[in-house]
Amino acid sequence: MRSRRPVFLNFARIRFPVGALASIGHRISGVVLVIALPLAALLLDRSLQAGAEPLVMPGWIRVPAALFAWAAAHHLFAGIRHLATDVGIGASLPAARRSAYAALVGAAAVGLAALIA
Amino acid sequence: MRLFSGQRAFVLQRLSALVVLAYLAAAALRVAFGAPVTLAQWQAWAAQPLGAALLLLAAAALIAHAWVGVRDIVLDYVHLFALRLGVLAAAVAGFALLAAWTGFIVLSHAL
Repeated sequence: MRSRRPVFLNFARIRFPVGALASIGHRISGVVLVIALPLAALLLDRSLQAGAEPLVMPGWIRVPAALFAWAAAHHLFAGIRHLATDVGIGASLPAARRSAYAALVGAAAVGLAALIA
Repeated sequence: MRLFSGQRAFVLQRLSALVVLAYLAAAALRVAFGAPVTLAQWQAWAAQPLGAALLLLAAAALIAHAWVGVRDIVLDYVHLFALRLGVLAAAVAGFALLAAWTGFIVLSHAL
């Protein structure tokens, strides 16, 4: 028997309350950070080479760097939020919505700062 | 094969998150209150047994955390069994390669 509840994965029809935004942002930022892992290994390798010199980066590097900064900040803030919720801190709906806003806004601020600073 | 799945994956994800969090806190404190680190100091620290071991632990925690996250995302969104198996196998191979490479980077500098 088919369920009568609405089952769909239409992103235009799914409502995203702030907690869901913080949650999907946690996933997306996690993917960004996974993609950055090999680059981090590359940078670690370079920094440990004898006679390593400061890297000269092209100007456009600011854009992916800002994306990385946002991803790292969002994953950190939302991750701390999840860990706190695991142990019952801030698990009530109003508190969870406040912390979700804080994580979203804080991470966006970090990303913007990396872009323009 | 229950390794790295179910509750074990959940616990590994939390534990590795706490390890990474501790590293971030230590690095933030060092940057905020310590003198700036020179490249030579960084390299000397990484060459010591303790520094190398801490770097390896950080890499292990990051890669373990990344693996559980990628696994969760694949299990949620990739439903075709053969495709899921292929993507998971590719992820395992990629993370194994990354772990070996990082281990080589750290150890070749320290030994």
